[in-house]
Amino acid sequence: MNKFIEYFKLYATEVKSVMRNEYRSIFSDPGVMLILIFALIIYSVIYSLVYRPEVLTDVNIAVVDESHTHSSVQLTRAFDWAPNTHVSARPLDMEEAKRMFDAHEIYGIVHIPKDFEEQIMSGRQSAVSVYCDASYFLMYRQVFQDVVATIMKAGAFVELQRLMQKGVNLPQAKAVTQPIIYQSHTLFNPYLGYGTYVMPPIMLLIIQQTALIAIGMIGGTWREYNLYRSIIPKGRDRLSSIPVVAGKAITYVLIYATTIAYIFGVHYRLFNYPTNGNVADCVAVIIPYLLSCIFMGITISTIFSKRESSLMWLLWISIPSILISGCSLPKETIPHWLYTIGQVLPSSDALPAYIRVQTMGASFNDVVPEVSRLWIKVFIYGATALISMDILLHRNFATKLEKRLLQTRIKLKKDLENIIRRRNKYAARVETTEEPKREVRRLTIDKSIFRRHKDKQIENNSEK
Amino acid sequence: MTLVEKIGIVFKVLSRENSRIVHSVRYTCCLVVLPIISFLFFAVILSKGVPSDLPIAVLDEDHSGLSMKLVDMIDSTPTPECRYFVYDMNEAIDLMHKGKIYAIVQIPLGFQKNILGNKPAHVETYNSGANISANGLISKDIQTVVTSFSVGIQLQILQKQGLTAAQAMAQAMPVRFVKHVLFNPYINYGYYLAPCFMPLMLVMFSVILTIFAIGSELKYGTAPEWLALAKGSCRLALAGKLLMITLIMSILSVIMYFILFVNIGVPMNGNIFVLFISTILLILAYQAIAVFVIALTCNMRLALSVGGGYSVLAFTFSGLTFPIMAMDFPMQVMSCIFPFTHFMKIFVDQAIRGVSVSHSIDEIIYLLLFQLLVVFVLGRLRKVCTDKRYWGKI
Repeated sequence: MNKFIEYFKLYATEVKSVMRNEYRSIFSDPGVMLILIFALIIYSVIYSLVYRPEVLTDVNIAVVDESHTHSSVQLTRAFDWAPNTHVSARPLDMEEAKRMFDAHEIYGIVHIPKDFEEQIMSGRQSAVSVYCDASYFLMYRQVFQDVVATIMKAGAFVELQRLMQKGVNLPQAKAVTQPIIYQSHTLFNPYLGYGTYVMPPIMLLIIQQTALIAIGMIGGTWREYNLYRSIIPKGRDRLSSIPVVAGKAITYVLIYATTIAYIFGVHYRLFNYPTNGNVADCVAVIIPYLLSCIFMGITISTIFSKRESSLMWLLWISIPSILISGCSLPKETIPHWLYTIGQVLPSSDALPAYIRVQTMGASFNDVVPEVSRLWIKVFIYGATALISMDILLHRNFATKLEKRLLQTRIKLKKDLENIIRRRNKYAARVETTEEPKREVRRLTIDKSIFRRHKDKQIENNSEK
Repeated sequence: MTLVEKIGIVFKVLSRENSRIVHSVRYTCCLVVLPIISFLFFAVILSKGVPSDLPIAVLDEDHSGLSMKLVDMIDSTPTPECRYFVYDMNEAIDLMHKGKIYAIVQIPLGFQKNILGNKPAHVETYNSGANISANGLISKDIQTVVTSFSVGIQLQILQKQGLTAAQAMAQAMPVRFVKHVLFNPYINYGYYLAPCFMPLMLVMFSVILTIFAIGSELKYGTAPEWLALAKGSCRLALAGKLLMITLIMSILSVIMYFILFVNIGVPMNGNIFVLFISTILLILAYQAIAVFVIALTCNMRLALSVGGGYSVLAFTFSGLTFPIMAMDFPMQVMSCIFPFTHFMKIFVDQAIRGVSVSHSIDEIIYLLLFQLLVVFVLGRLRKVCTDKRYWGKI
């Protein structure tokens, strides 16, 4: 029992010293502070400002009206009134429209043919051509939806008028023109805002990305400056891995707790992101996510021997990890094997689970599979962190031993050189005094160090 | 100094740099291995292009022939797949919360009866807005189905009234629209994302490597050796140092375009030569920015953090996902400080739209302007490289 308490005390002092040094390395290093603390805030603010308008409205389109009739003018006006499109130009022909299109002045063209009204009046069908730019995704969707909806509405109106001219009463005419009333409800993100869609997963991903890079930076620094060795408590050969991992993890959890509190307490309110989830449920997702990110970071950090290595190796994975989580591309699009590989990242579980809880208002029960996988990752990465840290510390310890060994070796070598020198000296003297050489030859290098004593005796003798 | 001598010096610096590249695992990997891995990743993940068969739930309260027909029609469209048939709304919402479906189609009781009785019938969809890309594709498909279903019913009613098929069609849809989707007719996802992500990888690695190449000289105090080899000419020293990175990144960009245009199938309608030149200009522009950052901070790791962060930001401001014209004015202005934004405009114009080169000239000039940043910091770089106080900074 006493031994246990002793160990506990030792561990506590080690945790404290690791944490102290961890804080010192973080806060004395602007590069690490930038990534570990400010990146989450800076990126969240910049991205949110970029996506603040949420939706694209009033996209400029051109209407080429060759009909110049009452109905065509009415249709043009309807395009202008539609929420997402704005008729900014009425070029005379398609050539001009195409030129404006190439110059990025307009993003869609509607062509109303010459016989537009004629066809409608005579009860035939009239064709309107729509040219949409699909090189920008959001642009295409807005323009196309609005233009098509407007045309359909205009068509239905013409049909209604025709029927009523025939003497059909209004409700009946309505039922004929619109046999199915289609209503589409968009849940959770009613205006299909782009920021509402991408910001929650991005903010969560930044946590993982910055944790991996920053922990790797600190780990690299510690190795580069041999901090793992210099904070070994007195009377011990090396640090124990448990207090090192624990001390580091506690430090990072505390730092991230602060920045995450800003994100969910302030940032979410500033930019009005959906908070449909129960706070406790969100926390239940974020805790295992943060822990697994940190443990994964500690595991990886033991590999880096230089402080800049982690950024060089890990910077590029930010976009792949958001893609592979299935939050931007639907996960059905991702090849299955790749999706499975992606499961090594904590973000692959946490991002979808978090979006479902926070944006869609799902309860904890709905995300149990993801959360349990996250806890499994916490334990796996916790174990790998301990093991790799143990290997690292052991290697450090081993090099220390090696150094000692080397020092003794150097000492021995010096002794050896001394002995040989003396031997030569002695041999020279022997030659001059013409003593038998047999004794001299027996002094071989290998055994000479063990004969140091004897040698001295010989030397003494000779001096006598 | 004659030109030949200058070239000789550049070659000396270049060969020194080459041995540095070969002797550093990080350097080699970031230069060749990681970019290729990232390209392959995007090639694989975007290979499917259009998302298809996204699961949705159907709440069919009518259970009639017509409602089943409508469900069949929805199922046969490319994007949605009616995978779950549920009995009440709570069950459907539960499925959505569990992340199993993207949308719910509700066909209320009396659907068939109303249609046959010449009364308006209802169809409602509940589409999750949490993923707007899936939402857009699913709602487009369902809307198309419901519209054509509705037109089909109108045609039948009108034909019953004695109209011919053509007359009925003209009556049901007096205004028809002919859809021309320009440049990306399949609305392929890969076409939007791949051209954005893959050059971004080139950019990221160019920035990191340039900062590392110069920063490591400062960190380990080998900068004077480097300058001495270039006979004290900062310009030649820089050229020799960065030439290899530019060269390899340009070769990688050829591989990238091969994957983009051949494997993923992004349309190439314009001038590939202009595109290639602007890719090299893009790499050079980011290298110039990297030199600028390292010369100002003279601290490799801070420079790496700043440069890395800056290069990642470029994606958001590129405008390919969220258009620049929709951003607030200050953000629109900010988007100009990223060479990547200008490059994406050239890419869209040259590769996808295929407009004449004259439309891309001003963007190319913007890319060239970024190279001037190097000129501003040459003096500072020389000072940093010769003054011991700036070395060994962590």
